[in-house]
Amino acid sequence: MSVPVLIADELTKHYSVSQGLFKPAASVRALNGVSFSVNAGETLAVVGESGCGKSTLARALTLIETPSSGDLMIDGIDVARANKREQKQLRQQVQMVFQNPYASLNPRQKIASQLAEPLLINTALNAAERRDKVHAMMAQVGLRQEHDQRYPHMFSGGQRQRIAIARAMMLQPKVLIADEPTSALDVSIQAQVLNLFMDLQQQLGTAYVFISHNLSVVRHVANQVMVMYLGRAVEVGPSESLYQRPLHPYTRALLSATPHIHPDPTRVKIRLEGELPNPLSPPSGCAFHLRCPHASERCRSEQPALRSLDDRQVACHHAETIA
Amino acid sequence: MSLLTLRNLSVRFGSPSATPVVEGMDLTLDAGEILGIVGESGSGKSVTMMALMGLIDSPGIVTADAMQFAEHDMLNLPARARRQIIGKDIAMIFQDPMTSLNPSYTVGYQLIEVLKQHQGLKGAAARQRAIELLELVEIPGAAQRLDAYPHQLSGGMSQRVVIAMAIACEPRLLIADEPTTALDVTIQAQIMQLLLRLQQERNMALIMITHDLAVVAEMAQRVCVMYAGQAVEVGSVPEIFQHPVHPYTEALLKAIPEHSLGAERLSTLPGIVPGRYDRPRGCLLTPRCPYRQERCQDSRPLLQAHTTGAVRCHFPLTEAPA
Repeated sequence: MSVPVLIADELTKHYSVSQGLFKPAASVRALNGVSFSVNAGETLAVVGESGCGKSTLARALTLIETPSSGDLMIDGIDVARANKREQKQLRQQVQMVFQNPYASLNPRQKIASQLAEPLLINTALNAAERRDKVHAMMAQVGLRQEHDQRYPHMFSGGQRQRIAIARAMMLQPKVLIADEPTSALDVSIQAQVLNLFMDLQQQLGTAYVFISHNLSVVRHVANQVMVMYLGRAVEVGPSESLYQRPLHPYTRALLSATPHIHPDPTRVKIRLEGELPNPLSPPSGCAFHLRCPHASERCRSEQPALRSLDDRQVACHHAETIA
Repeated sequence: MSLLTLRNLSVRFGSPSATPVVEGMDLTLDAGEILGIVGESGSGKSVTMMALMGLIDSPGIVTADAMQFAEHDMLNLPARARRQIIGKDIAMIFQDPMTSLNPSYTVGYQLIEVLKQHQGLKGAAARQRAIELLELVEIPGAAQRLDAYPHQLSGGMSQRVVIAMAIACEPRLLIADEPTTALDVTIQAQIMQLLLRLQQERNMALIMITHDLAVVAEMAQRVCVMYAGQAVEVGSVPEIFQHPVHPYTEALLKAIPEHSLGAERLSTLPGIVPGRYDRPRGCLLTPRCPYRQERCQDSRPLLQAHTTGAVRCHFPLTEAPA
């Protein structure tokens, strides 16, 4: 169980942005040297606000975007050095579930054929075998087989997300990337879908990369949590201890800002001023220093590196004194 | 006297015999009170408030026994007089700030339009007031931001502009329909705090419509839980969250990941909200309710007074959930 199926090393993605005819193009560092590894059957949660690079990371991991630099190993194969045939193989091993099941399913295609499509493209199974596999997968995600001739609009949001999950699982991938898979769903449906994710992981041993902005959702599914800010990982660690004792001030602020059902009246909320800085002109030093209540002179000039502290990694000059 | 009284409000779309989208809503709100309305999508929370604002057009049919706002009877008010109240004494902010602002006009133009319409301000005075309003909602560099177009602002900033427009005429009631759903957590916390500050400073009544129970728990004094177009439980906030009396409220609370910390699985409410054509004959929750009994299948419960407020259930829960 302890074999990493996904290893990212200093993964970086820069986009160049045109600023008009006479100005040189600027570069946005959407992803700025992110490293992690995920074992089979385990879940890494990636948390951060919009614009922190979570979705760019997802696109790099699913081979939709080629990283500007850095290494990505999937199932022991180096993506950058893979030939065409190996790349096709890799694409089967990494599948993705998107945020909005209303947009990610083709409205004009019956779900039987949407679910069979990965098999049609990637395997040599005949029609009857494909149908059997589709039915088996539908049963596994809790859909009724009789509904295979229906169109997506005939299903509710939660059922559509089940269809999207079934489609991603058709090829038995080693890695599943889920980009905000429950944020479009209601609370009671969200719980059903999260349970389905956990059941499938137990049955199939898939590694998950779970991208979310919602810390309480992530707490339930994740083994490891990576908190990102402006394209960098600021804290990486085992889920429970990170929630118990966050080390980075940004993680602390995120946890503090999350509303609770039973609010503790004695709790003092850490209020973050301002918003995410413009990624075109990131601040000097620590990217977080403009909003950080603990910022010092050193934070303004020197960028903190991700370093090990206790059971996790944190990128903050003052992690010891804050926690 | 309460600020707002709704009695037996129903909204149908199509014919008067169509299945109601909102059915028999009763609601009262005092001046300066914060009420949360929670429920899943399709439970009728937004439609209720749109009916109050007069935003339901044909083929929508709004019926009610009473719809009283302060001294105005909103049911029998001529459209002209109603428009004087809406946007001035009752204001509303919506979920997505990017779509509630007009992308073709500057923020200042849209803000000044409100001031012209309701307060008769013009020229430099209107501009000055607009800057004050932007400062009030904590927008840095307010004077420059006045000439910005909505696309030049972030989501959080746009929502602040929308809030500034809503409070421009010092409303007595502000209705916020999912005001923080489209925003990040840290920005959500800022907007929640801003709304609370404005509410306290002006003693404004606030109705928060949301699907996020935690937001209600942190902000509201009273909560109304809606299911399939009906209010199923109404009561004061800490009590309902500690001891939900309606099975649906209990299930909603349990479905939140925060509730199942350390547990292997999340507790769920099986099934989905009944649609237009498969509404049960009895209590609307019957097919999903773990406590259902024979009587629930046949007769619809009414919203009845209970120790914590009011509840629509034949067999209200008595003990705290495990």
